[in-house]
Amino acid sequence: MNLRRLLRTSAVRLALRYALFYVALIALALGLLYWSTSRFVDKQLAAGLHSTADALERARADLDHGEFDAMVQAELHAGRASKLHVLIANAKGVPLEGDLEGWPPGLSADNRVHNVQIEDDLIPGRSEDEDAYWPVLARRLPDGDRLLVAHGLDQAEDLLDFIQGTMIAILAVSLGLALGLGLLQGRALLARIDALIGTARSIGAGRLNRRIPLSGQDDEFDDLAGQLNAMLNRIQALMTGMRQVTDNVAHDLRRPLSRVRNLLDVTLIKARNSSEYREAIGQAIDDLDEIIRTFNALIEIAQAEAGSFRGDWGPVDLSALAAEMAELYGAQAEEQDRELDVVIQPGVAVTGNRHLLAQAIGNLLDNALKFSPQGTPLRLEMSAAGDRVRVAMRDQGPGIPPEEREHVQKRFVRLDTARTSPGSGLGLSLVAAVARLHSADLRLGDAGPGLIVSFEIERASGA
Amino acid sequence: MHILLIEDDKAAAAYLTKGLTESGHVVDRAADGEDGLHLALTGQYDVLILDRMLPKRDGLTLVRMLRADGRDTPVLVLSALGEVDDRVQGLTAGGDDYLAKPYAFSELLARLDALVRRSRPAAQPPHHLRVSDLELDLTLHRVSRAGKPIRLQPRELRLLEYLMRHAGQVVTRTMLLEQVWDLHFDPQTNVIDTQISRLRAKIDRGFDRSLLHTLRGVGYKLDESA
Repeated sequence: MNLRRLLRTSAVRLALRYALFYVALIALALGLLYWSTSRFVDKQLAAGLHSTADALERARADLDHGEFDAMVQAELHAGRASKLHVLIANAKGVPLEGDLEGWPPGLSADNRVHNVQIEDDLIPGRSEDEDAYWPVLARRLPDGDRLLVAHGLDQAEDLLDFIQGTMIAILAVSLGLALGLGLLQGRALLARIDALIGTARSIGAGRLNRRIPLSGQDDEFDDLAGQLNAMLNRIQALMTGMRQVTDNVAHDLRRPLSRVRNLLDVTLIKARNSSEYREAIGQAIDDLDEIIRTFNALIEIAQAEAGSFRGDWGPVDLSALAAEMAELYGAQAEEQDRELDVVIQPGVAVTGNRHLLAQAIGNLLDNALKFSPQGTPLRLEMSAAGDRVRVAMRDQGPGIPPEEREHVQKRFVRLDTARTSPGSGLGLSLVAAVARLHSADLRLGDAGPGLIVSFEIERASGA
Repeated sequence: MHILLIEDDKAAAAYLTKGLTESGHVVDRAADGEDGLHLALTGQYDVLILDRMLPKRDGLTLVRMLRADGRDTPVLVLSALGEVDDRVQGLTAGGDDYLAKPYAFSELLARLDALVRRSRPAAQPPHHLRVSDLELDLTLHRVSRAGKPIRLQPRELRLLEYLMRHAGQVVTRTMLLEQVWDLHFDPQTNVIDTQISRLRAKIDRGFDRSLLHTLRGVGYKLDESA
């Protein structure tokens, strides 16, 4: 994954946004801290200047000249580290006492702290680079002389410099952390997405059996991947089904098609009389009709499986429909000397496609008539229990062994016992497809003796 | 009858025209929806056969425009397999019919016949039908042949009514399934044959002359002349 893609990820963008927000917040907080610290330092400095000035003023009033001079020297010595400077000058600014060579020009003795630039030449033995604005307190003494106390800023500046440095370090670290976390998150996200994209790409390239790997974290990505995989499974099943149909259609139609073709070819070999032609054409039409029926049934199954009959969906009076179908096929049962027992609970409605349900029930009746011996009784049942409606067809024929019951629902599958009877092997497949379309499962069971085929549909609400 | 065939498939149109002409009909053919609509609006036709999918103008649109113009010429819509949807069924509710390809030519002929007769005023009084000496009173649900009462089940009554209303016409198995049972499906075995033979046993057995005839590979006909 390249950096540009990484930077485009939503995680990185989000992280950047948050990083900027937090950095601004931290900068604001640190700025406030800096401001209040420097005010505090200023206050401390001013208080120190005032107390020194007070002490000197008191001492000058109380002590004689020699003692005072000694005290000033002692103060200066003690305050050397903090760059204390003291000056006592007369009203004209001529120095009387202290370590400054003259009164700084323009400084008024108003007993307030000013930041004043003190020229180098006023301070003996000082190097140039220390030239700076210093907090200076100057006051007028009761005898008309003036007192000046100044303080170097070094310590206070060191403190503020330290705070500033810490601030910048904190900002840099938090910005770096936010960016780094964002990039890490972005990478993790990209890795998941790349797995998805990779799978999609290889499926697009035709490898339909590929699936998106799950991380096992059971998160929203796993949810998405699970859903997509389920969709892919369904698509693959449909594709396989489709391929199977195509193969089976090709296989099943090839034989009758070549039969028709042979028939017509052979008819053309020599001149025949018109009744022979008529017979050949009639036979060809019959064969083609059989092909068309198979074809139609296949398409109906495919459409039912694809769910494309949904347009014709509506309420169906299944009781009436089942009764109609029983009546329609009843005549045939009668002809075969069978008893068709019809047990239908009246007034039961379902939601579905009437024609397909008719076809399904018709196929069940037709199968029962075809595959159980003449003279044996049949039974069509339809009953509702709770919100389920059960349709069941029983015969007393040979039945279907349990291991074959799944198999016979597939297209074109015919048991050996049924090979001799007419049919395409699609009847039960269509019933199964119709049942599935109506969210029902087709069940084959042992009617002891015989076969019972049934499916359960949801009963229409309010019916 | 005078038929307008609107079909873009040349080969199919040629077969149909030949078959219809040989069955004694006069056929005009249009190859697209535009020409078809023009012909339908200017000519006098007993029935229209049109393909669902047509170049320039879709078959169903054509029918709607025809109806909007006040023409009630019956229409038989030919649709490719699997296209029979609710739109087509809605259309057929208006007195028209549809047939899915591939279809049998005899089915097409039978349906054309039924369509054209349906669009003409009924020759029979609505509640009393008579074919030869077979009589059906729909208000009393009573059937008799040569004055002898015959007992029929309700469905057999409906079957007989349909056959009598189309007396002298060929009706196919699918037509019966659709019109009498209101079912569109393939019954696999010939359940209709069995129903017909049951009805035949009741109305023809014991009489010199048969009225209900089977036309092999085509359908049935209720007719006084064999």
